[in-house]
Amino acid sequence: MSKRTLKRTRLLVLSVLALAACMALVACGSDSGGLGGSDNSDVTVAEGGNPNGPLKIANWPLYIDNQTIKQFQQKTGIKTTYTEEVNDNNEFFGKVQPQLAQGDSGGRDIIVVTDWMAQKMYDLGYIQDIDHNELTTVFDNLIPSLESPSFDPDRSYSVPWQSGMTGLVVRTDLAPDVKSINDLFDPKYKGKVTLLTEMRDTVPLVMAADGIDPTEATTQDWLDAIDKIKENVDNGQIRRFTGNDYVQDMAKGDVVAAIGWSGDAVQAEADNPNIKYVQPEQGCSLWSDNMLIPVGAPNPAAAYEFMNYVYEPKNQAQITEYVNYVSPVKGVKEILMKKDPSIANNDLIFPSEEYTANCFNQVSPPGDEAEQQEVEQAFQDVVTG
Amino acid sequence: MKAWRWIKEHMVLFIGLLALAYMLIPILVIAVFSFNDPTGRYNFEWVGFTTEYWTKPFAITELTDALLVSIRLAFFTAIGATILGTLLAIGLVRYQFFGRRAANLLIVIPMATPEVVIGASLLSFFLTLNVFQLGFQTLLIAHIMFSVSFVVIVVRSRLIGFDRRLEEAAADLGANAFTTFRKVTLPLIAPGVVSAAFLAFALSIDDFVISNFNSGSEVTFPLYIFGANQRGIPVQVNVIATMLFAVTVLAMLAVIIQQKRAEKAAALRPEEAANKPAISIPV
Amino acid sequence: MTSIRQRLVPYGLLAPGLIWLAVFFVLPMYYMGELSLKTGSLEAGYQMTWAFENYTEAISDYSTQFLRAFYYAGVATFFCLLIGYPLAYAIAFKSGRWKNLMLFAVVAPFFTTYLIRTIAWKTILDDSSPVVSVLKFLQLAPDGRVLATSGAVIAGLTYNFLPFMVLPLFAALERLDRRLLEAGQDLYASAVQTFWRVTLPLTMPGIVAGVLLTFIPAAGDYVNATFLGGTNQSMIGNVIQSKYLVVRDYSEAAALSFTLMAIILVALIVYIKFAGTQALMGDEEEAK
Repeated sequence: MSKRTLKRTRLLVLSVLALAACMALVACGSDSGGLGGSDNSDVTVAEGGNPNGPLKIANWPLYIDNQTIKQFQQKTGIKTTYTEEVNDNNEFFGKVQPQLAQGDSGGRDIIVVTDWMAQKMYDLGYIQDIDHNELTTVFDNLIPSLESPSFDPDRSYSVPWQSGMTGLVVRTDLAPDVKSINDLFDPKYKGKVTLLTEMRDTVPLVMAADGIDPTEATTQDWLDAIDKIKENVDNGQIRRFTGNDYVQDMAKGDVVAAIGWSGDAVQAEADNPNIKYVQPEQGCSLWSDNMLIPVGAPNPAAAYEFMNYVYEPKNQAQITEYVNYVSPVKGVKEILMKKDPSIANNDLIFPSEEYTANCFNQVSPPGDEAEQQEVEQAFQDVVTG
Repeated sequence: MKAWRWIKEHMVLFIGLLALAYMLIPILVIAVFSFNDPTGRYNFEWVGFTTEYWTKPFAITELTDALLVSIRLAFFTAIGATILGTLLAIGLVRYQFFGRRAANLLIVIPMATPEVVIGASLLSFFLTLNVFQLGFQTLLIAHIMFSVSFVVIVVRSRLIGFDRRLEEAAADLGANAFTTFRKVTLPLIAPGVVSAAFLAFALSIDDFVISNFNSGSEVTFPLYIFGANQRGIPVQVNVIATMLFAVTVLAMLAVIIQQKRAEKAAALRPEEAANKPAISIPV
Repeated sequence: MTSIRQRLVPYGLLAPGLIWLAVFFVLPMYYMGELSLKTGSLEAGYQMTWAFENYTEAISDYSTQFLRAFYYAGVATFFCLLIGYPLAYAIAFKSGRWKNLMLFAVVAPFFTTYLIRTIAWKTILDDSSPVVSVLKFLQLAPDGRVLATSGAVIAGLTYNFLPFMVLPLFAALERLDRRLLEAGQDLYASAVQTFWRVTLPLTMPGIVAGVLLTFIPAAGDYVNATFLGGTNQSMIGNVIQSKYLVVRDYSEAAALSFTLMAIILVALIVYIKFAGTQALMGDEEEAK
């Protein structure tokens, strides 16, 4: 037995030494490791001209109909790969950041992320400017309310894909008097209420319900709102935090009221006509998902073609009919009026000015990187119990 | 006392069958809902019976693409993991050498590591190294990695029950190590290797967590479902899942029949098996 | 006839597999360990600061989720053993011609993929389903529902990891020498006594393997908690996933991962010593 122990000890010692040697070696050279860091070189303008080669788009799931890509390929001859790999802004950012930091887009020509993430990526130098001269159809048809958003006032790098409202989604048969965010905290709905995992949707609405203007809220306001949410989590009021999947629970009646998105409500109504979007009394949060051309995109000219293509009203109408979110393109309502008046007259897809009077643009926590992370972490801690 | 024993025996089988039924309940639910005709996006309430989605299961391009990615991935994983794992198993069982204990440990530890840790560490590794493109390459690497250990276990148990005298007989008849391996060992452990490959294939198709971390822009079948879950899982997903299950069961039946045939042949003339391995190879 | 070439054969056989594992398992683990001691962010880069406080913070901030994960995994493993042992026994001894088919039936659900199976449970367990009504009647649903409770998460874990318990148990049971069981009966032991004194001890390696293969992945799982759980069911896997993919605080995520692994390794060593077998080491003795 002792020979074995000797052998084993020798092995152990050798491996420890080897490990230590490795550690020392790598620790010395690790500070410059590939992880982290960003390249803040000058922003380039995406090149137009003739598209050469295939087009690769990264978008959210179920955000386009079944025909558009095929038709685009047929019309332009550009082979298009459309992947639905964006499930969450943060997750997607984490996935692509290291490559983008080195100027590599991973083959993607267009990525679609929400306003605040678009701004974040642009500030880090991961996004190219767009050339308005190449995008005449886009800017001819862009609806006025989206022409100059706060995160990109000149639309120098973003083109809206779809827009939407975050507010209340309610089972009007089971919870008829939910009209404001604070109604979600009514004990009679205990355990049947959900909130969104997207912090920038949930927290500003909670703040607005307490009379705070989200666009002017301080870090402390955010943290206080998060505390209020935490209370309601601890006492069992909130059933869970969800992505889009709250609608399933609602269709079954497990959930009667939630913070949710306008497009979901439109689609869910088909499953259960009692599911309705309710505009909160204190206003909703307006957001859009934007097409961006990342640095290192292999075929920006093709990207321009695609953007122009989907901004033609009849093509856009096809998308809107399927996706049921707010279309950024003029003229779509008229086309759909003939085809499917129920969609054309839907306030959620073509909201009027008064419908969104109280609404505010989606906001991010104020302050520098550290303060923002503090708020994010506080919210995450509540979400992950 | 005999009656009591009979009931007892019946009881265990009964419980076993109950347990098996428990395992298959969700599969049943999935299959049933593949015949549902939802009015809207969400397939959670039974609305009405239709075979519509079975007539066009591949209508959604992204879903079909994801499925093909998963199948390709599982196929190559099965091949890679089986080769690496079989070699490992043979080395571990047959030979005594320095470092055997450590090798054993290295193989077992990945199985004892939570998927979230494996997935996350691989992601940081790939990002730091910046050699492999995040996507199919990294998925394949990750899948082979976590499957190898399982292959080793399956093949090893087959090897341990293996009668060495057959190999000695071949050696006595003048075959060198390689020929012996090719014509005697391999065919006889083939069932174990095949089951290991099957298991690797299954684990790869099923994997979500590790793929979620390392997929880059590739979308596998489970990842598609995860994304689609947010907006409403199309009925085609249920159809395809049921199809995958059905195809597997059929494939298994085919393998079982083949195995039974091969075992019968091998059982009749064991001495000849060493000289005529062709009979005992399950095709 | 032990030439140098023959002595190198085992190394040749082992090299490809071991190198693969060394490069794609050990090395990433090492990098993760290194990352856990750094501070920084994705945008600004990470610097090595020997930040051991990442570990102390990790443990103190998330002790609830750690404990919860071990609790859920423990209960799930217990149920897996309870359900899995009879199933494995039935397949090994009572299934006759159907043995292989039943075995495959245990593995086949993998082909429908993890997520869909878990989501199917959501349908089965939702508030208005008949299953839940029965459970409510039996007073087993204190919150008036099953989904978004610990029960649902544990049920999901049990279901999803059952094959990992059944397969090792089956392997151990199959290798059992039936003559030992017969001998027990010849000596006037009842079926129960035979089981308790012969079968159970002899299949202990299989039980050890099954318990470990079930408990460990279950402890790190987050999918079941995500779909079947609510706000108070987050496990440590959820925290790790959120830190990596949502908050992107990689160094704390790495520290959490390592802590989880360390705890598991310690539990593994203790458990194996206690159960008194070297089952996982795969020495030749195991075959006997």
